[in-house]
Amino acid sequence: MKNLKIYFICLSIFNFSFLLSQDRIPSMNLKTIDGKTINTKSLSNKNGLTVYSFWATWCVPCINELDDIDKEIDKWKEAKVNIVAVSTDDSRTKRRVRPMINGKNWDFAIYLDENQDLKRALNISGIPHTIVVRGNKIIYRRIGYKPGDERNLYEFILSQNKKFDEKI
Amino acid sequence: MKGTYMNLFCPKTKSLMKKFKNYLFFSILFLFYFVNYSQFLENMNVSFESYSAYYLDDKKTGDFKLENRFRSNNYLNLKSIFAKNWNFELQIESYMPKPLLNYSPNFENTNISTLKFEYNIKDLNVVFGSIYEQFGSGTSLRTWEDKSLGINNSLLGLNVNYKLSDEINLTSLIGQQKKGFKYSKGFVFGLDSEIDISQLIDSNSTFLFGLSYVGRNDQEIKSESFDNLTNLYSARIDYSGNSFYTNLEITQKSNNPILVFGTPSDTFIKKGSAYLLNTGFFNKGLGLDFTFRRLENMTLYSEISAAGNEFNESIVNYLPALTKQHDYSLTNLYVYAAQPDVNFYVEDLTKAGEIGFQTDLYYSFKKESFLGGKYGTSISANFSLWNNLGGKYDFLNQSYKTDFLSFGEKYFSELSFEIRKKWSKSFENIFLYVNQYYDKRMIEFESGQVKSNIFVVDNTFKINDKKSFRLELQHLSTKNDNKNWYAYGIEYNISSSFSIYYNNLYNYQNPDEDKKINYYNFGGSYTMGMNRLAVNYGRQRGGLVCTGGICRYVPESTGITFSIITSIF
Repeated sequence: MKNLKIYFICLSIFNFSFLLSQDRIPSMNLKTIDGKTINTKSLSNKNGLTVYSFWATWCVPCINELDDIDKEIDKWKEAKVNIVAVSTDDSRTKRRVRPMINGKNWDFAIYLDENQDLKRALNISGIPHTIVVRGNKIIYRRIGYKPGDERNLYEFILSQNKKFDEKI
Repeated sequence: MKGTYMNLFCPKTKSLMKKFKNYLFFSILFLFYFVNYSQFLENMNVSFESYSAYYLDDKKTGDFKLENRFRSNNYLNLKSIFAKNWNFELQIESYMPKPLLNYSPNFENTNISTLKFEYNIKDLNVVFGSIYEQFGSGTSLRTWEDKSLGINNSLLGLNVNYKLSDEINLTSLIGQQKKGFKYSKGFVFGLDSEIDISQLIDSNSTFLFGLSYVGRNDQEIKSESFDNLTNLYSARIDYSGNSFYTNLEITQKSNNPILVFGTPSDTFIKKGSAYLLNTGFFNKGLGLDFTFRRLENMTLYSEISAAGNEFNESIVNYLPALTKQHDYSLTNLYVYAAQPDVNFYVEDLTKAGEIGFQTDLYYSFKKESFLGGKYGTSISANFSLWNNLGGKYDFLNQSYKTDFLSFGEKYFSELSFEIRKKWSKSFENIFLYVNQYYDKRMIEFESGQVKSNIFVVDNTFKINDKKSFRLELQHLSTKNDNKNWYAYGIEYNISSSFSIYYNNLYNYQNPDEDKKINYYNFGGSYTMGMNRLAVNYGRQRGGLVCTGGICRYVPESTGITFSIITSIF
């Protein structure tokens, strides 16, 4: 019976893998730095793409990624990208978010996912995790960050913008 | 099968139970195949994670003596919007043939771990099934999941969230708490309200006020000396201005029996409390933060008998250590775990909670300035100090009386200083210095206090946009405990998908020659979008291992581990 169950579970996974597609950012509440509630729906970018970057104050590669994006933030803004950095810090470390982002002087929006509800809803198993969204539709996801990934992401965004402009 | 998920519905006999389980399993599968071909699929999301290990004998650390060398944790998660306003989530977990080392034995075979129907309309949100929720900062209630820590303390029950107006938000819940695949016998229920006062008075600053109540009713252990119902009342206030913020949270816990030699005492019964004050100042390029916390007899378990269990199960509230969370291996050798509870196991080492503070500073030097250079420089510093509650402790008569703002014996202190500097387009450094004091005697009831100094240098060389190389060097020096350690790690990112690494920790000054052990690990990973494959071979250090504010004793082990993460979106 056990083997049969495992067999069916595996079969289900493969079956689903070819057919399924959830490609939207779910409607969920995040907190602003001031503690106010904001829904993910209101974060969609009408002019271009939105990049969600899931990070935490204790995650070294996450901070490397955000630092590297911030260093060339003007280029990203020109490409009409909204950067949304979602902190997954829970109450152990969330008090470090506000001083850190001010100390770093990052020039993009920061929201808090304190009980990691959005992280759970998007099946994010570890951070850093990057998601690119047009409207509410997810068009790209990446687990982890290595130096240079932000450049490749930027190139991807330019190519998507080009495709989109051609369609219009 | 006592106490398992299905037991909550209708179990009478074991065989009936088994049949029911199989029936449920195949019904769910059938349901999936049905919906597989229906329109609902458009909004279906599936992900699968698998973490497996094959444990090996080790000449240096000894043979693997437990059953099942091969162990595997598997998680299949399905989420769907199956009708207008309705969400559905199912997570099936399989620990076959046994869970990985360090996971609770309550994870057995294959079973349902999360089952949730969620109804969402305008200002109302209702969840039937597994509830993940947090009140305030979690001091009174937090139910959450972290697979890597083996934590899923969700409540199975009903959760209603209603936004009364733009300013007022109400949450209520009731349920039984998950522990492994079992559920607590005790019930947990709660109410939370949050009012945005700034909207009422039309202020530019933010002013939030919150009140919560959490109750736990466990009828398993009856006594005339204590009530089976324990109550937590909490109030919080939160202010944020243009360059200043402050918040205060106070929680009171009603009388609860203290565990003496594993059983709740009829005579040693105490109240609990938590005070949390956080304040900070910020400006462009500068951030300062200060947090004070005092905890006394504060952990709430969904079952009275679960107090102090080694797998951190059945905990209703979240009381993490407020210290800097480190990312480097040697900075995590002597990690502080919060001490929220009363402990009268050892004379002279009696404790009733913790009191202390931590402070953080972040600063960035401007680009093109003398210290900023072409790419800017950022620094951060942290200091934390945690002590036992000061007061009178009477070990023989099992009683104590604490003073409100008195600092007792020191548990832990830490000073850290970090500099991040990018020198050129292709080279970047992180320098970290940590000075720690860790009282093993007070925290772990083992002999000794450890004073240590740790240095870390992290070097990243970017070869091009796809290739990079990282070298990490660490040293810990101490005259106490097992003396000095060094550690190093190399990581080579061959392409944007492929990565390999090797790292090693070595206790080179351990007075015992047999304990001079290289804790080496090497492996690689392949990442493609939402899919990740990773393999590791090596030897894991044993002892108290802390991640994400949760600490557990883990045995030493050697073996091969592999993980698969995949998701289809």
